[in-house]
Amino acid sequence: MSLFQAAFGFGLVSMSVIALGAVGFTMQFGITNMINLAYGEVMISSAYVAYYINRAGVSIWIGMIAGAIFGAVFSFLLNRIVYSPFQRKGTSLLGMVIVSLAVSLMIANLLLPLVTYNSVSYQETSGSLIRMAGVILTTNQILIILLAVVVMLAIHGLLRYTRLGKAMRATAANPILARNCGIATQRVVDVVWLITGALCGLAGVVAALNSDSFAVANGAGFLITALAAAVLGGAGQPYGAMIGAVIIGLVTELSAAAWSPEYKEVVAFGILVLVMVLRPQGLLAKRGALAAAG
Amino acid sequence: MNTYYAANLLVYAAVDIIACIALNLQFGVSGIVNFSFIVFQAAGAYAAAVLSMPPDTASGYDFQIYVGGFQLPFPLPWIGGAIAGGLLSIPVGFVVLRKLRSDYQAIALLVTSIIANTVITNARPFLNGAAGLALVPQPLQDQIDPVSDSYQYFYIGLSALSVVLVWFVASRIVNSPFGRSLRAMRDNEVAASALGKNPVALKMMIFIVGGVIAGLSGAILVGFIQLWAPSVWLYPETIILFAAVIVGGRGNNLGAVLGALLVPVGFEEVTRLLPNQFDLGGLVITPQVGLIPALQWVAIGLLIIGFLWFRPEGVRPEPRRVFEGSPDPSEVELVSTA
Repeated sequence: MSLFQAAFGFGLVSMSVIALGAVGFTMQFGITNMINLAYGEVMISSAYVAYYINRAGVSIWIGMIAGAIFGAVFSFLLNRIVYSPFQRKGTSLLGMVIVSLAVSLMIANLLLPLVTYNSVSYQETSGSLIRMAGVILTTNQILIILLAVVVMLAIHGLLRYTRLGKAMRATAANPILARNCGIATQRVVDVVWLITGALCGLAGVVAALNSDSFAVANGAGFLITALAAAVLGGAGQPYGAMIGAVIIGLVTELSAAAWSPEYKEVVAFGILVLVMVLRPQGLLAKRGALAAAG
Repeated sequence: MNTYYAANLLVYAAVDIIACIALNLQFGVSGIVNFSFIVFQAAGAYAAAVLSMPPDTASGYDFQIYVGGFQLPFPLPWIGGAIAGGLLSIPVGFVVLRKLRSDYQAIALLVTSIIANTVITNARPFLNGAAGLALVPQPLQDQIDPVSDSYQYFYIGLSALSVVLVWFVASRIVNSPFGRSLRAMRDNEVAASALGKNPVALKMMIFIVGGVIAGLSGAILVGFIQLWAPSVWLYPETIILFAAVIVGGRGNNLGAVLGALLVPVGFEEVTRLLPNQFDLGGLVITPQVGLIPALQWVAIGLLIIGFLWFRPEGVRPEPRRVFEGSPDPSEVELVSTA
């Protein structure tokens, strides 16, 4: 029984890590209409930025901020230099998927010569053990959970109670109508890339911190879990991604306890397949995956 | 030129041409972005391998674990590989192609490709896991000595024959009423279904046909290189084939062949010519191990993005099909822009 209690504790950590990644990914898709398959590679690049800062003797929590800033700038530039010109040119959604996959391949292989194939890990003590109701977590893991909760609340506040959030929701719902109502949609899209990029960078550092070690090859795995949570909740729906992260985080950790940790991603994939067969629009979306591609 | 070098080059070229024709049927002609294409090639290769290998208890083969080991004579493993590719297409197509929006189909297939590789890598008893299968028997190796020159010619001939066969089938498909329906679906799915075409059935059919051809390409390759492991069918391999089809020209078989010769074959040959050291006026630079392959991938990415930006129709664009009695295309354009 204690094995499953421990797994539940890990599930809490895991869902926090996944939520940080999935919310940014799904917001990019919902508001800018871009399935950014390079998301996992931006995550891993940010994790490496934090790694080099951490190696210079700075705390990883400061490195995390640097990772988030790097992710924001990188994502912003990616959109400005590659995605946005292609979208303006009228490239189809499918064409954009191919472009983003090509970008992902390029980032991973530009990163490889710089950081090598070897796995690295942050120099950070995992903190003291804290026990609560049979669940044992390190202080670092509790900080990760707290960070995720704070970020999720911040996103909720942003979307719900600010003018910018309203403009984002309007742009997501109907960009042309939003523009006609006087919303500077281009500026909104720029801000969205900065915010989601920061989330992406943060998620990369947190995911790297949560695993014992990481390497460039982990980018694809990061992408899959973010994708699975986003699709499960209904792509483009930030709250859906949060729910998706909770479900996938719990189920993967429980299955790891019951079965084998090597199949975590496979279990996430199994959930993804079930959703695609039974409810392709995801848990929250009304149209989502069923709508015709433009 | 060395016979082995020639055989290597030509057999790889044949495999890439067959794969590109299959991918072109799915992606170029029908608009299915099959990011898990390489999985179907792998299925064919694995199937051909276990059909031709002896059981894993046989002496010399007992260092690996795998299912099957049927020791079937030559044409059967290749046919089995093609069937395996087609069979695998059915459940994958069933999940992906029925309800999902086309960009979701693409990401679902990409994820399928990554996960399939993870599963095969970790599940050792099934197909020997990460180490993969080795010592796969070559076709008719008991009849002709595989290390002789004549065997190389024989294998080149077999591959060439397969290319001709696949080319024939593919051009029949492209030029048939079925091919016209596929193109109609690709260009405007709503209009095609309004005319009574069932897009899901069309997609399923071409997905299975593509799977069969992909399986055959895998069977040909594994019979030549004699080993197959998860590391040779990682998802970026699919992206090379996409680059080939995009560069060569989507929607026409000639473009697919051209792309196969330019991208996978051409790239391999060009990097073979690169020196291990660069002498920049006395300053000798030795690239670190893995730098050249990494840059090769970057170049593939640049090639895709560059072609999609500057010449999305590829080196050889799809010919415009005009039928007797149809209005002059230039007039149609005038009307639509007015």
